[in-house]
This record gives sequence, C-alpha cells and structure tokens, in this order.
Amino acid sequence: MYWLAGGFLFRRVISPFHRLDPRIKLIVAAEFFALSLAASSIIAISTVLVSILAIAVLARSLRRIGRTMALSLLFAGLIFGLNLVFGLGLLKSLTYALRFLAIISSTSLFFVTTSPDELEQIMKWIRIPRDIVFAFVTAVRFIPVVMLDTFQIMDAQKSRGLELERGNLITRVRNMVPILIPLVVNSVVRSGELAEAMESRGYGSTPHPSSLYRMKLKWYDWTVFFASLLLFAGALYIYHFFHFPF
Amino acid sequence: MSLIEFRGVTFVHQNGVTALSDITTSFDKGERVGIVGENGAGKTTLVKHINGLLKPTSGTVTVNGTNTRDVSTAHLARSVGIAFQNPDHQLFSDSVENEITFALRNFGFEESVIKKRLDWALGFFGLEEYRKSSPLVLSGGEKKRLTLASILAWDPEVVVLDEPTVGQDAIQKEKLAEIVRMLHSAGKTIIIVSHDVEFLWTLQPRLVVMKQGRIVGDGPCAKIMHDWPLMESARVTQPQLVQLYDELQRRPEGPFLDVSAARSWIGRRSE
Repeated sequence: MYWLAGGFLFRRVISPFHRLDPRIKLIVAAEFFALSLAASSIIAISTVLVSILAIAVLARSLRRIGRTMALSLLFAGLIFGLNLVFGLGLLKSLTYALRFLAIISSTSLFFVTTSPDELEQIMKWIRIPRDIVFAFVTAVRFIPVVMLDTFQIMDAQKSRGLELERGNLITRVRNMVPILIPLVVNSVVRSGELAEAMESRGYGSTPHPSSLYRMKLKWYDWTVFFASLLLFAGALYIYHFFHFPF
Repeated sequence: MSLIEFRGVTFVHQNGVTALSDITTSFDKGERVGIVGENGAGKTTLVKHINGLLKPTSGTVTVNGTNTRDVSTAHLARSVGIAFQNPDHQLFSDSVENEITFALRNFGFEESVIKKRLDWALGFFGLEEYRKSSPLVLSGGEKKRLTLASILAWDPEVVVLDEPTVGQDAIQKEKLAEIVRMLHSAGKTIIIVSHDVEFLWTLQPRLVVMKQGRIVGDGPCAKIMHDWPLMESARVTQPQLVQLYDELQRRPEGPFLDVSAARSWIGRRSE
C-alpha cells in the first residue's frame, strides 16, 4: 500500500525538473492534463503519455510514477472493459483507458516533484485564504505520518491474530474496522494537538505573516514556460487540423 | 534447541536501509531478555521478526523450530504476544472487555474459556471497574495495562514488551516489574525492548545491546551494564546504581568486590 501511495508522495531529488519554479511545474502538468482531455486518437494520447514518462525520466521519478500507473492500470482496464461492453469499439475504448492513465500520470508528475512547501507557495500565490492553504498543506505533509500509523496499527492487530488477507470481500472489509478506528481516533487527536501547538506559537495573530521562501522565476523557468506553451499550442493545432489514422 | 533462533538474519527495508545486519542469536524457553540500544539500532525490527510481522531479507528465524517464513503472523501470534509501545495503535473496541477478548476470538477460543480469561485479565490488571467503558477514555497508564491484558489473556509462550515503561509513573513501573517477575516464574520467555535502564536493572535480565542493526554486546545485565565503553558506544546510559558503584570503586579505600557489597555499603550509610 505504501509502495503504491509513494506514487503521489514528494521525494527530494536533484533533477532539472525539480529545480523548476513550482508554478512552471504546475503549468506543465496542467498542459499535459488538458492535452490528455483534448486527445481523441490513440496516437495522440500515446504521444502525451510517452511525453509525460520522458519528463518523469528527466525528473528521475519514473519508478514513483510507475507505482501510480500500476494502480491506475486496474481502473484503466475497467474503463476499457466497460466501454467495450457498451459498444464503443476497441480503438475508442483503448483511447479512453490511455486518457485515464495520462491524466493520472500528469497529476502524479506534479505531486512527486513538488514539495509541500512549494505547494503552499503556489496556493498563496493564487490568493487562496491562508487557513485553507494551511489545512491543505498540513494534510499533504501528514500523509506519510498517517501511512506510518496505518502500518503500526496493522502490525499491532496482526500480532493479536487478525488476518487481513483471508476471507471473502465482506470479511476483509469487516477486518479493516480494527485498523480504521484507531487510525481515525489518532488522526483526530493529533489534529487537536497540532491546533493547540500552532495557537501556542501565535498562529492567527497576524493576517499576513512573512515567509522564509520567495518564488522567483529564473531564466530556465522562463525558457521551459515558453517552450511548453509553444509545444502545447502546436499539439492543439495538430489535434485540430491533422487527421490521425487511429 | 532454543525456543527462538536467529541465524544470519539481515533485514533491508523497501527504501534500501539495512535495519539488521547478520544477526545470529537465540532465546531459550523461560529466559528473560532485555534489548537496549540507541534509536534506530534495530531493536523493534528484531522483535517484529519473532512473530513474523517482518520476514528476514536473508537468514532464518525459527520459533519452536518453525521457520517464520513458512507460517502466517496469526499462526505465530498464538505463541508470541507483542505489546507495542503506543496503546493508541491497537485500541479500537467499544468496551474494555471486547478489547481484551478480541484476540481470543481471533484464535477461536471457546466462549467459556474466553469468559474465564477475561475475568482473570480484568482482575489481574485492575481494570474491573472499566469493564464496560470505552478503551479510548482510559488514562495513559490504564491504556498501557489494557494492551498488556489483551496480550496476556491468550497466555502466549513468549511475551515481547516494546518500551513498556513509556508514560508510566513509578508505581506502575513497579507493578510492571512485578508482572514480568510473575510471568518469568510461570516459565514464560520475556523479551523487553527498552531505553529504561533503571527498569531493566531491577529485573536483571540477559542484556542484548544493539547498534546500527548489529548485536554488539550480549550477557548478564550486571556484567554488560558495567562495560562503560560498550554502553557509551551504543549510546545507552548506565543505571545510577552502576554509576555510583563505579564512582565508589575509585574511592581511596579501594574498590568494592561486587555490586551487592556496594549495595550493602550504601544501605549501611543510609541507616
């Protein structure tokens, strides 16, 4: 489970893509997202998917994004199967399944390469209220902690004879109760403690506190920004005016 | 043959960090063992191998002659009970009695046996008055006792206590030491992972010292605790009594012959 969740968790890596300003990373991810939605042929959507994976290689995060794709393959298969059953045809069904993979991969690319601090900067930059930014970023930061809690709880319950991998679907769901209750209780307790600790350190005493980090676009950010815009516009042009055989 | 045997056990986490390196040791039936070492030394990782929560990357762990790779954790848990450090990681039932009987039901005990074991555990750990209460409203010390009760209720052959004294006051620590002595006299194998050297000193177990995933010291508590270079390298403090003894050894009248001589000397002085 942790292996799969790693597909959406930031990991500090030295790579050209990680060095980019988070706003540029967001724009690149959004462009891929939009291209995935706009693509209506297998060739087009495959090109988008391959481009995302090429950037993942550049960002030294292919393995992590591969984890996301491993989980997404199940859903992609479901999308493919359902569309096929309801008579959409092989090529169309495959296009929809690949589109789903491309959308998930573009989102994963952004989250894997953008730290919670950078997320916070972006959200502040687009003028989202501070309390919402704080709540969101804290939730993201706590994902690894909650995952760790989950494993410790699973260990504790397995040590008392709980078998999570046995039984039918209903039994397995029921067996999750001893995991979920301590997890939820711990999370609620932790959030209360965090709120108290934040207030004890003056959270909310000033509406616009200063920040240690400042986002500043450098020459390579501008280069990537304009290059990506150009490619995005070019891709849309091709989508519109070029007829793909399939 | 020992009850628990580690042979050349190495464990590497998914992230590539080596938590245990070539561990070879054994724990006999009825033995009382303390495991000490700095944070991240591999103490908890080591004990998680005993009930199969973790399987070695290389090497073998056997419990009662059974390779832990060949059976499920649920199977091993019947004979190995682990009480984890944080009670909040296991308490989930709507009442204390359901919490205690959770494992008994998982192991398929008969209802009459469950009732007997429940009554014994509630009485032994002083939790009778909370029988119908939610475990979540208990104090820290009571929660800790409840986790122990929920482990000992099924009478495992091996009892592993991970940091049992964390958050416990002096009285609770004494009670805990008493429980450990009682379990020992009942022939249980007890393994205690702890940073609390004072607590371990009162129990005088065989002491295993870990550092960076390796066992760097193993022997009687009194001998190991006196080995200052070893303790210092493993970042474990010596018990105050041992520190005092070592100080007194340097007194002009000459060293004491052993700890008991020092203890009686201190007793005479305090009178």
